Amino acid sequence: MKKKGLISTCIILCCAIVLATVTGISFNKKRNFVEDIVVGSNVKGTFKLDEYNENLKGTIGDVDVYVLKGEEEGGKVLVLGGTHANEPAGHMAAIVILEQFQVSKGTVYVIPNICQSGLTHNDPLEGTPQYLHFTTKNGDVRTFHFGSRASNPIDQWPDPDTYLHTSGDWTSAKVSPDVNTTQTLSGSEVRNQNRCYPGIADGTVTERVSYAVTNMINTLKIDMVIDLHESSPEYAVNNAIVAHQDALSLASDTVLQLGDRDILLRIEPSPAALRGLTHRELGDYTDAYALLCEVGNPSQGRFRGYTDEALAITGKDPCYTDAYAINGGALLYVDYSSGDFPLSLRVARHVATVAQLIDSMNFEVDDEARSVIVDNFPDPDAIKEFYDEMVAADDLGLYLN
Amino acid sequence: MLPELKEIFMTPYMITFFVMVGVFMIGCFALKWPVGVSMLAAAFCGALEGMLVHGTSFSQTITDTARMMVEGEFGYIDTILTIACAMIFMKVIEDSGALDALSSLLIEKFHKAPAVLLILIMFIIMFPGMITGSSTAAVLSAGSIMAPVLMLLGLDNVTAGSVIAMGGILGMIAPPVNTAALVICAGIDVPYVGFTGPLLLLTMPLAILFVLMLGLPKIKNLNYEKLKPALEKQDATRKQYGFKIYIPFLVLVVLMVFFKVFAARIGVTDLGMPVIFLCSAAVGLFTGRKINPLKAVPAAIRTATPVMAILMGVGMFIEIMTATGVRGFIVVTCLKIPEALWILACCISIPLFGAVSSFGACSVLGVPFAYIYGTYLGGNVVVCLAAISLIAAVGDMMPPTALAGLFAAQVTGVKKYTKILVKCIIPIIILLVWAGFVLVKSKAFAWSVFG
Repeated sequence: MKKKGLISTCIILCCAIVLATVTGISFNKKRNFVEDIVVGSNVKGTFKLDEYNENLKGTIGDVDVYVLKGEEEGGKVLVLGGTHANEPAGHMAAIVILEQFQVSKGTVYVIPNICQSGLTHNDPLEGTPQYLHFTTKNGDVRTFHFGSRASNPIDQWPDPDTYLHTSGDWTSAKVSPDVNTTQTLSGSEVRNQNRCYPGIADGTVTERVSYAVTNMINTLKIDMVIDLHESSPEYAVNNAIVAHQDALSLASDTVLQLGDRDILLRIEPSPAALRGLTHRELGDYTDAYALLCEVGNPSQGRFRGYTDEALAITGKDPCYTDAYAINGGALLYVDYSSGDFPLSLRVARHVATVAQLIDSMNFEVDDEARSVIVDNFPDPDAIKEFYDEMVAADDLGLYLN
Repeated sequence: MLPELKEIFMTPYMITFFVMVGVFMIGCFALKWPVGVSMLAAAFCGALEGMLVHGTSFSQTITDTARMMVEGEFGYIDTILTIACAMIFMKVIEDSGALDALSSLLIEKFHKAPAVLLILIMFIIMFPGMITGSSTAAVLSAGSIMAPVLMLLGLDNVTAGSVIAMGGILGMIAPPVNTAALVICAGIDVPYVGFTGPLLLLTMPLAILFVLMLGLPKIKNLNYEKLKPALEKQDATRKQYGFKIYIPFLVLVVLMVFFKVFAARIGVTDLGMPVIFLCSAAVGLFTGRKINPLKAVPAAIRTATPVMAILMGVGMFIEIMTATGVRGFIVVTCLKIPEALWILACCISIPLFGAVSSFGACSVLGVPFAYIYGTYLGGNVVVCLAAISLIAAVGDMMPPTALAGLFAAQVTGVKKYTKILVKCIIPIIILLVWAGFVLVKSKAFAWSVFG
């Protein structure tokens, strides 16, 4: 009996070792996989985020900032992608922007992987793919991460039972001392990049990254910051721009301009009571216009069916088609009548929104010295043209170097 | 077969669902495997069937299945650590005589007012749940401490277990910390603000009602003089060690309150429940009867192993359900029923899904129902979320995971957990009716939103 028990224990142990080895290799590969960002002549330089928080040195949060600088001095815009690494349109749109935008005046800073730690793993219980693949015009296959909403527990663990968000040492004339800037959130939100702003210099790696971004905006006097996201189709804030109160007029102009060209977006004011988010804290603790863009992502929602790379790229899902049929589509906040919502469309919406926001900012500040000019988009009609081409092509690889 | 039924039952998702449930049942009931192992087998078979049917290559299916099962296994790692450490604490206070001493003290002080004593016991059971958001923490800490008290008062072990289990699930929902509500808040981007009032309103009346309903008939004729001989051993332990035997409880309460309520506000890092339990257990080694940690710790871990295995199995099961589309299929099927029946779907499907995991139910079904009641039907979001979190807490009573029920059975020495579930059916129905009513009429309870 004892011998039998010993044999079964040995068999189980061997199976566990094999499983740990196979999956360990897979997790390790993902942890260390570096995306190939193909930098063109439009990128005039890069620097590390630790320039704005030395506590980031040697950590996974010390990511590259890409500088798209025009010949002529002008305004400054920061584009954040990959805040939530399970929202691929945010990450990919930032990469398309840094590889495609030709800036002739002013500076566009792009950080496509602001939560690099989140890109290096997947959310437990969510069953998502690890990578996305795209074939470029040249026939090269480029591989990108599909990651997690939160930083990797390898970088900060354990989570507290509840996360008490604070604004650290930051003060701002825009925030009255009477305003409660602390907030109790679910414990796992301590690893959510978009709940940790304005950040803490020597906090968790997630808080350190947020601190560096806030500090960078203040130091470089950046005029506008745009954070690119995606949301579940059943989430009310969808295909929308969420704007800090100081950026509402600018966002309204963008919504109107794009709306005139059949790119329909909604505008959502940033809730004053929801702390830690870019559109709230970066608007409160910097002088930049703070905006966040959302677009519907079927590979993220709770109604989704079989989840794989194809779903993330095509957005084609029978469960969402069924959900859209309930009460005439009232349960969803995106038009899912076509039965899909492809990544190329979602990225096109983000790129068009960023291009239009830059145009609207130029109009809003009405100061030549603070304007930014992107040669690809001389006017709103060019934005529409780019958008239509990208949607019609339905192949994101064509927009990657 | 009707076309609508055919449409539902003949989808690939339904087939995967049947495979997973079928393998689980065969493992559990025919092969008598442990629940955790049955869930592992169900997840594995579901993944193979689901991925191969969707045209994934065999090698990709194997590597993805392996990765997702390990990923899912780690989904509840924090809870698993808490359970392991709580069991060590429980074993130490049991062996040190601290449980005996506290039972004797409470009965001596409060025997003249049995109803007040019962309500006090209920609040003590709830307290760790209130500050950790976990029914497991409540049942394994305060529940284990109060179990002998309840039994000495005259409650049979099934009734005592039922009181503890209901206290555990109400404690996890009562403010200030309600992890179930926090999970839903995170899902729909609602700040955890204003929940204190609705959560008190939802839980406190039920707590008083349940403890009196279950316990009072058994102890209303409590005769302390008759009870005294049965307390001889407990009294002796109490006199032998005096105040110092209670120190582990004090350490536990002080550390919990400090780290859960105050620490973050003064910038001190939370130690976490596992370390808090271990610190309290370490103190317990020196405050009562002599304990050999080399025997006590393995014994505690052996006791906790089946539940820890269930949680690992649950993680794999949910991950594979999600990857294969079964999760989405279940959610959309629930929403396909007529609007008037959504409340029934909510009150039935969420607790049933809790059989896999109550927090999983919050994420999978709680979030869509929160959208529906809070946004689509225009209810008060805070009240809706509070009510849904209470409904989800019932999941901790649902077999096979049944964390609150299983641990309550363990601390009261009940062999078959189902006896506790049967005893709790009426309280559970009352709870669901109350929570459902508040959910549907959430606007009428908007006045309670504060804190």
